[in-house]
Amino acid sequence: MSAAVATKDLTVQFPGLTAVDQVSLSVETGELRVLLGANGAGKTTLMDLISGKTKSTAGRVLVGGVDVTNWEEHRIARIGVGRKFQIPSVFRELTVQENLTIASCKSVSLVSNLGFGLSHRQQRRIDEVLDLTALTGVRDRIASDLSHGEMQWLELGLVIAQNPKVLLLDEPTAGMTQSETRKTAEIIKSLRGRYTILVVEHDMAFIREIAEQITVMHLGRVLAEGDIAAVESNEEVRAAYLGSKGIH
Amino acid sequence: MALKRGHLDLIIYGAFVAVILVAPLWLDDFWVNRLSKYLVYGMLGIAISLSWGYAGILNLGQGLFFGAGAYMLAMSLKLASPTSLQSSDTPVPDFMLWNSEPGAVANLCCINRVSFLWIPFQHQWFGLIAGVALPSLIAGLLGTVLFRRRLAGAFVSIITLAFVLMIRLLVIEEQPLTNGFNGLTDLALLTIGNFQFDPYDRATYYLVAVSLSLALIGARLLVGTRAGLILQGIRDDQARARCLGFNVPAFQTLFFSVSAAIAGLAGMLYVVVAQFASPTFLDISFSITMVIWAAVGGRSSLLGACIGAIVINMIEATASETAALLDLWKVIIGLIFVLAVLFLPRGIAGLAGSVSDRLFAMWSRGRGQAELPSGAAQPAE
Repeated sequence: MSAAVATKDLTVQFPGLTAVDQVSLSVETGELRVLLGANGAGKTTLMDLISGKTKSTAGRVLVGGVDVTNWEEHRIARIGVGRKFQIPSVFRELTVQENLTIASCKSVSLVSNLGFGLSHRQQRRIDEVLDLTALTGVRDRIASDLSHGEMQWLELGLVIAQNPKVLLLDEPTAGMTQSETRKTAEIIKSLRGRYTILVVEHDMAFIREIAEQITVMHLGRVLAEGDIAAVESNEEVRAAYLGSKGIH
Repeated sequence: MALKRGHLDLIIYGAFVAVILVAPLWLDDFWVNRLSKYLVYGMLGIAISLSWGYAGILNLGQGLFFGAGAYMLAMSLKLASPTSLQSSDTPVPDFMLWNSEPGAVANLCCINRVSFLWIPFQHQWFGLIAGVALPSLIAGLLGTVLFRRRLAGAFVSIITLAFVLMIRLLVIEEQPLTNGFNGLTDLALLTIGNFQFDPYDRATYYLVAVSLSLALIGARLLVGTRAGLILQGIRDDQARARCLGFNVPAFQTLFFSVSAAIAGLAGMLYVVVAQFASPTFLDISFSITMVIWAAVGGRSSLLGACIGAIVINMIEATASETAALLDLWKVIIGLIFVLAVLFLPRGIAGLAGSVSDRLFAMWSRGRGQAELPSGAAQPAE
């Protein structure tokens, strides 16, 4: 069985910088993979390459065995890749409910959306997502009036409502309080198994909570791969990223 | 709550349609003609609100679509006019005769090198269809180019502005085709079946009022669809919409074209009411004035922008009849715009919205604690 998402020697060169350098990665269906690395290690750029936001200069991206290298973003999204950005990207002038309505449109084509409202099934699905992300109480609120944490959850909710096969989550706990971080870990844990998840994170407590497999990146390359114990004890990782003091 | 909001919208739109339909009962012929002109401007307000308020595309060249609609119908009406030479095979507009070279054949095929473009306009229906089709087509092409390249914000505004200027130059330059600066005047009346639409007749007013109502209701329904909601999403965050799988340029182009079609229809109706088409429709100042109407009325409300256009024009008409205000008017409109931008970013419609929200909240609270107020009335937790 082919991997849910895989990259082969994926490379992108910006003038004077190779942001992602021959990265080969393979994430199995249903796996939760954490991408770890210092600032500038190329984690977000790797997500940009998978989701089509940035075009690669060499190598390939495969989603469920389909070669999607350098496809347009909306086509990659349609094949089942959902993306959560580091800075929450939601429809700010619309209500929470409206945001989720857009995300759960069954078809993405223009013509088939010239109708009104949603089916009962889709509405139930929205209710589920609201429940999962603890946003039921604020469903009629305009997104820009949400707190930062709620906005992050809303974006997570949008990606879930989209019902993709692969979730790319870029620092889902960025800027969150401890309790919000815990809540986010709960949400992500509940998604485990149902989706293939690739998540970029810095917060070690959070990583310990959710991680199975970790890929460590450094200066655009994959440095190490394995479970948390293997990564922690890896000498190269200690030297390059964690310093000699180890992971805290 | 959401349902009640929807109902309130329905009542307000219904009330507006009712008011414009019964208004002629209290007006003399002169004011009926005037008001029909303002209703045409109201239609432009809808077009601006659709593209600016809902799609986030600030088109500073909406006059292009208005002008295209106007010229298309005016060409048909010019050929039908008694001022055109009607004796040969094809009618020939008077200005072509005046400017023709000695010995030129008085026929649209060859009186000058571009006159053949007028041939299909002998059929009035061709002008009527082209008046909507041409603006939509231009918008479709322009939109495809602009939105595929992911241009947004000020860049789109600047390009549309430059584009309308360019077309204005062309229209003025191509005098053999368009009669240049003078525009198209001395037109025939629009005739449908055996009925002639005299601009000072109530029938013409109703033609405009019904068209406006249909455009308003049609646009309101369109933005209420899922596609309309997706479009607003695109306005807020294009990257998010792309990541959800939506083909962003397709949505933008569609709504840009619909906005252009409404502006084209407005252009045609203006020709019926005012009986001329002129390159002044393509002036920058006109396109920008439309944006001001929509900003003052409330760009994120179709009805607000429409009422903004009508009200500002009514005030302008009244002001320009008072000698003291004649020169001051431009200053006043500028001031209104600045004040609206500073204090009413959502325009009159936004103000009305927050007032009604407040009333709603008070009313809900007034009904006692047994029924807890919901939604907007509830304080944030």
